[in-house]
Amino acid sequence: MKRGEAILVPLGAMIAGLLVFGLFCAALGLNPLAVYASIYKAGFGSWYSWQNTLVRASPLLLCGLCTAIPARAGMIVIGNEGAVVAGGLGAATVGLATLSLPPVLSLTIMALSAMVCGGIWIAFGAALQHYRGVSAVISGLLLNYLAVALMNQLIEGPLRDPSSFNSPASYPLTPDHRLAYFAGTHIHHGLIFGAVACVLAWFLIDRTTFGFAMKIAGGNVRAARLAGLPVGRLVVIAGFLGGACAGLAGMIEVAAVHGRANESLNAGYGYSGILVAFLARQNPLVIVLVSLLTGGLLASGGVLQREHDLPDATIAVLQGILFLFILLSDTLYGRLPFFRSRTPEPKPHAIAA
Amino acid sequence: MNALKTPPPHLEACGISKRFGSVQALEDVSINVQPGSFQALLGENGAGKSTIVKCLMGFYHADSGEIRINGTPTRIASPQAARRLGLGMVFQHFTLIPSMTVAENLILARPNLPFVIDWKSETRQLADFLKQAPFQVDPHSRVSTLSAGQKQKVEILKELYLETRLLILDEPTSVLTRDEADEVLGFIHRLVKKGELSALLITHKFREVMAYCDEVTVLRRGRFVGGGKTASLDVSGMAEMMMGEARVRNEAVGTRSPAGRSVLRIEGLRARGDNGLEVLHGIDLTVRAGEIVGIAGVSGNGQRELVEVIAGQRGATGGRISVNDEDHRPTRAMLRNHKFCTLPEEPLKNAAVARMTVAENMAFGVFDQPPFQRAGFLLDRKAIARLGRDLIAKFSVHPPSPDAPIGELSGGNVQRAILARELSSGQVSVLVAANPVFGLDFKAVDFIHERLLQTRNQGVAVLLLSEDLDELLELADRVLVMSGGMIVHETTPEKADPAAIGRQMAGHHS
Amino acid sequence: MQSQPETLGLWGIAVALAGGAMRGSIPYMFVSLGECLTEKSGKINLGMEVILLMGAVTAFGVSDVTGSPWLGVLAAALVGMTLGALHAWLTQQPSVNDVAAGIAMIIFGSGLAFFFGKRFVAPMAPQLPLIDLGSWSSAGAIRSALRISPLFFIGIALAFALHWIFTRTSWGLKVRAAGDDPQAARALGINVNRVRFIAITIGGALAAIGGAHLTLYFPGIWSEGISGGQGLMAVALVIFAQWSPRRCLAAALLFGGAQALGPSLQSLGVNGYYHLFNASPYLLTLGVMIATCTPHRRLAGMPGALGRK
Repeated sequence: MKRGEAILVPLGAMIAGLLVFGLFCAALGLNPLAVYASIYKAGFGSWYSWQNTLVRASPLLLCGLCTAIPARAGMIVIGNEGAVVAGGLGAATVGLATLSLPPVLSLTIMALSAMVCGGIWIAFGAALQHYRGVSAVISGLLLNYLAVALMNQLIEGPLRDPSSFNSPASYPLTPDHRLAYFAGTHIHHGLIFGAVACVLAWFLIDRTTFGFAMKIAGGNVRAARLAGLPVGRLVVIAGFLGGACAGLAGMIEVAAVHGRANESLNAGYGYSGILVAFLARQNPLVIVLVSLLTGGLLASGGVLQREHDLPDATIAVLQGILFLFILLSDTLYGRLPFFRSRTPEPKPHAIAA
Repeated sequence: MNALKTPPPHLEACGISKRFGSVQALEDVSINVQPGSFQALLGENGAGKSTIVKCLMGFYHADSGEIRINGTPTRIASPQAARRLGLGMVFQHFTLIPSMTVAENLILARPNLPFVIDWKSETRQLADFLKQAPFQVDPHSRVSTLSAGQKQKVEILKELYLETRLLILDEPTSVLTRDEADEVLGFIHRLVKKGELSALLITHKFREVMAYCDEVTVLRRGRFVGGGKTASLDVSGMAEMMMGEARVRNEAVGTRSPAGRSVLRIEGLRARGDNGLEVLHGIDLTVRAGEIVGIAGVSGNGQRELVEVIAGQRGATGGRISVNDEDHRPTRAMLRNHKFCTLPEEPLKNAAVARMTVAENMAFGVFDQPPFQRAGFLLDRKAIARLGRDLIAKFSVHPPSPDAPIGELSGGNVQRAILARELSSGQVSVLVAANPVFGLDFKAVDFIHERLLQTRNQGVAVLLLSEDLDELLELADRVLVMSGGMIVHETTPEKADPAAIGRQMAGHHS
Repeated sequence: MQSQPETLGLWGIAVALAGGAMRGSIPYMFVSLGECLTEKSGKINLGMEVILLMGAVTAFGVSDVTGSPWLGVLAAALVGMTLGALHAWLTQQPSVNDVAAGIAMIIFGSGLAFFFGKRFVAPMAPQLPLIDLGSWSSAGAIRSALRISPLFFIGIALAFALHWIFTRTSWGLKVRAAGDDPQAARALGINVNRVRFIAITIGGALAAIGGAHLTLYFPGIWSEGISGGQGLMAVALVIFAQWSPRRCLAAALLFGGAQALGPSLQSLGVNGYYHLFNASPYLLTLGVMIATCTPHRRLAGMPGALGRK
């Protein structure tokens, strides 16, 4: 694939998606330009809005990886939301149990247990698909519902803080057992986790023999088997790594943003992560960029409500439209005249037939 | 079948040309099918045979040229239009819906089917039709349960049911045994002689042309290169027209040392097919060092599954594969220890990742070994690129660009690239190859055949599966016949009787 | 479900469960029939969940505005057709696969449903009239348990109609041909893309009617979680039903029953694991999928072209 094509096609799809969203706004009687301006202002207009964007980008980075890493091994993962919830629950449970330990140790254990919970959550779906032929898409969505049921059971049952009346929540972590903020900002250290995870994922996929084996298994299972690769193990490990990232996102939400496990764990970062991964064409480094953009969109939800009286689901509509266009743009690869490769084209099948 | 009273149409195609992108598929080709004649259209893969009949059937529209029916210039806009003119076609691949019954398939093919089907009257009509039909098939049996030969007969029944007067057959015998082929073609021959049908047979089998056809048209690379009454032609003349130049085999590779100890041994191998039923019922065979063992058989008799089990793409339900008396399973460690290589059919589907580069595809066997792996986990991409350039030069893969996705290469070059990978990963002691030259041009076929013989002469145990009996008789030292998931016959090329092998392939083991 | 009086015995629980199964099966029935039609044509529509959602919100809105619940059902069907058509068009683009298109539809459709749902703050829209099956009983609880939506009977009729269409009409044969072997179907002169487009579009309409039931039946309040994965489970249910419309019916009743389990147990006083019991349909679906699927062979009754580009 040509490099220019790899950048221009998704960019064009995004612009087309934004235009259609503009039409949607115009149909509602709003000035699209004013809506765009609000989104820009809320996401990227000031240092304050940048901070909001970065806070939202941290879980997105990790949720994007949850889809992008298994995608390299040929598995479409959309159970991100469930893995975030599972990770968050794991982190909260362990975090509350280790309040007596030094904070650094407790946070490390929280992160690890969140990664294990999220990892197992996704690896289970991957294993079901590989060994039992159960579509990972269906099992992933079912597991999302199960994770939410489990969360409700826990935060209304054993973990429940009796002082949380209206919306049930777990007991809170003590302030020193929460993730710290960068000095002078409200950006928490979770951002580092996300950025480091993206770089590590890129390195794993692009520079190691494990990543190479994963690419073979993801590209053609039959060829991978022929080469003697342990396809099942590769797929399950890829699922685990992806799930671990999403689990870590859950831990960040618990340990940095809310300080406890509550229904906000199920806030849709998982679903946005799918969009991020597809927009980035499953490339971990591009995910960094796309997460910033998407984080900005998510950050603008409140402003749209205040300034244009649009419900917060407006951003969900915009995400949906963007996803449709990204999907459609896939048909353009290799078909744009100025990117036609100069190597001889494969002969049309019809002639040999 | 009252419509059989009208005579078959006189079909003429004059000066047909057709271009696909940069490829001139047909150039100024003419065909003349007189009413009541059995014509052959002969040519190699890619000669344009299918293209011209698809123009006749309205699937494609010619860029230039004219089609005349009974002398009237006619534009055939669609397959439906062709059908109205009495033209029908039996394809290389079946056009029956596997999950439906024979009756449903016949009804479905009928034009102008009413929305609500009156099954009572349809079944009655169908029964009447089948009563006078030449083959007997249970109309209520599901197509997926029929054998290939029966399916091909249903295809022909379908054409007769649709009152086709000029039947085009596109390599109809490619999935049939010789006896089945004779039965099907003989039947059409009788209908043609009775004047009820004209037929145009696309084939590359000289035997069928000589036995059944009145006239032949030979195409090569999209051009008309000869033809005439079959009575006035002989096989070698037709072969020369079809292939252009005589094929010269490099004799140097033909010498070999006698076969050595047994290397690859398969004992009692069993496996299930895609439908969950057992397709391999205990395969036993041995391949010794320095010999090519060929497995002949009509496709669909378990060969594909056998290769898949050997390649690790399908689990075995019983039996054992061993190399030099050690158990063999397709893990990387064992593949390396046993120097075991597999060249499956359709390499792009079975052995390559289309979107990875040629060099990357060539590294599948060695990427986790030094020098390609460093420090136990790092990938050396420069070393892979070097390997790619090396092998591309050695096996003359075209285009010589290691960074091109392998999916962009032609079939022959993909096959070369995969062959290069399999034969280059250190020493080889076992090579399993399935239909390695399927769909390739002569140059590629000769190249790959030469490599196979060379490999054998180096003392490698070669297991070669092919649907082309001639290929096996030419290359193999021993030939096994596979039928119904079992090895039913063994012979050597010197002693082989093609007719006997054909009967064995068809499952008549006596 | 309504709170049951304490006088209810085990027999009453059984009736409540049966009534719950009949009520709860309606969305499963419509979505699985819609998905059955879609998959018979050779394509998967994973976006059924959001078609259900959009059907629910549309029916609610139209019923609320016009006062006619049947107009709400009709409007839901139209919206379902539109979404089905969009999915059909997407999946027929080169290099777009069914699953990715389904994911796109899920994200896009749920965004739309939530967006429009926000505008409908009315507590309850006019409901569909109910059919009384329990008039023989004097117990009010049984009577209320057996008040069944007419959509239940329409769904049953549809299942048989679909079976008839698949076996007795030329269009049904064409759908099956397109789904089993599109190449052969094309050679037979069948316009595979058109047949599929129509099948997927009608499938969307059916699923949306299932959604209409969600808001036009007690309690009839629109909420974002109203579909609760039922559309998705119905997709799994089609596999379980081996792509047969009549078996879809039976499977829908089973799933409806599983859904009624949590509330029924709650009415018995088992409150401890409320959320986990409510998750039983998801567990059932997962269990059924694990039991019926296999990576080693094609599933019984599976259309040949399913899952292949």
